[in-house]
Amino acid sequence: MSKWTGVLELDMENREGRSVAKNVYFQGAFKVMRPVYFNKGAFPCYYLLNPGGGYLDGDTYRMKVNLEEEAQLTLTTQSATKVYKTPNKEVYQETHFHMGKNSYLEYLPDALIAYKDARYHQKNVIHMEQGATLLYSDILTPGWSPDGEQFSYNMLRLKTEIYKEGELAAFDHIKLEPKTQQMNELGFMEGYTHLGSFIVVSEQTSDELLDQLYETITGIPGDFSFGISKLAIPGFTVRIMANYTQVIERIITASHHVISKEWYGTKPSFLRKY
Amino acid sequence: MTSQALSLLQLCDSNFPNGAFSQSFGLETYIQKDIVKDAATFTDWLNVYLHEQLTFADGLAARMAYEALNDDELNRLWELDRILTVQNLARESRDGTQRMGDRMLDIAESIYQIPLLATYKEKIKNKQAFGHSALAFTIVGHDLNVEKETTILYYLYSTVVSLVQNAVRAIPLGQTTGQKIIYAFQAELKQATEKIMQLEESEFGIVSPGLELSQMQHERVGIRIFSS
Repeated sequence: MSKWTGVLELDMENREGRSVAKNVYFQGAFKVMRPVYFNKGAFPCYYLLNPGGGYLDGDTYRMKVNLEEEAQLTLTTQSATKVYKTPNKEVYQETHFHMGKNSYLEYLPDALIAYKDARYHQKNVIHMEQGATLLYSDILTPGWSPDGEQFSYNMLRLKTEIYKEGELAAFDHIKLEPKTQQMNELGFMEGYTHLGSFIVVSEQTSDELLDQLYETITGIPGDFSFGISKLAIPGFTVRIMANYTQVIERIITASHHVISKEWYGTKPSFLRKY
Repeated sequence: MTSQALSLLQLCDSNFPNGAFSQSFGLETYIQKDIVKDAATFTDWLNVYLHEQLTFADGLAARMAYEALNDDELNRLWELDRILTVQNLARESRDGTQRMGDRMLDIAESIYQIPLLATYKEKIKNKQAFGHSALAFTIVGHDLNVEKETTILYYLYSTVVSLVQNAVRAIPLGQTTGQKIIYAFQAELKQATEKIMQLEESEFGIVSPGLELSQMQHERVGIRIFSS
């Protein structure tokens, strides 16, 4: 018996121009559905799902995704990840991505919803070889609380390490702890409730693309605040604070469209879920 | 005061030419948005910057670097140089710390002749390191046998003093007001140092979303007197 609540392993390879799974393994409360090849595309989209309907006290999840040279993959969730109260032990999720030469990964999960008294700890470790391209997003949102409290969760902690050819190239560590932090004040969430991140690593990154993304995002309606900045390696982060998941999704989707158009002359697939 | 501590004090002088006068680390964004506009709002910002960013980045890195030097584990020092640089996702702030680190290494090396400072510079030249003032400062403090806690406290103090001077020019505030803020921050600096001594290493690099956004947004702020 595995000590994990849910385990997922997915190995992708490029078979004569088409990306296919070499190995798919899941156990416990983690599952993937049959892959979808949108528009008869060359690479699949896998949908993750959590058959239990949410993460509970002390749950532990581990995901390992390996992309061989030139392999491509879209990975998303079927719906939002819900973290319920964790009276005894935080929920922990660990993700390892290994990306071979010139591989391509879109990891665009739905929002994480943290309910009253939830504690969630996530660690992502991403290893990238030369020429690999990563599009990564996450959205942190507070769940509905019976007493109308804005931030009723206990703690959200996300750590992401990105290694390029073996060397640490980006490190992101967010810890939101409403009981000890002045969430609405200067420096924290400043009146917003939802936090979105979109991290892109690609050798094709250019200042022109960042300018274009800046213009695109600035033109999106809605109440939000965002920043965009280059990483120490070719790549960038977009960080967004808003009050609605949809606003953050709109920004990430619009950015994704700009990237696909500029770099590949394509349009990303609509990850139809409902 | 010991003469060792006195030597380290030279690096804390707000006139020390490490280029801190041109870095606001996002403060200027708040000034432009009229959120930071007087002594009270600046104090709010400085509090958050000290306790929510400096503590988990520069402060904890200084402690870990001091411990690595005690154990003679230089590889740990170079790892810290890397993580301390790449955890800064806002480009201008990241570039700013590198430039300041570079300047501090240059001057410190010519004052103290500590071989490790020369090694650090060499590594930067060969693109094997980035350069960071917190680490250069710690190397000097350690070499001078200044205690770990004192070294961290002095480093935080020097950072706070520079930021207050910058605020005095940019908001602007009166010189006396600036000095009063520095004096009032003694308690905050001690508290931050105590916390740094207690932190788990796994807490390294935690950043507050608002602060980080302001640092990213600075790239596109209209009128700028600071480069971050």
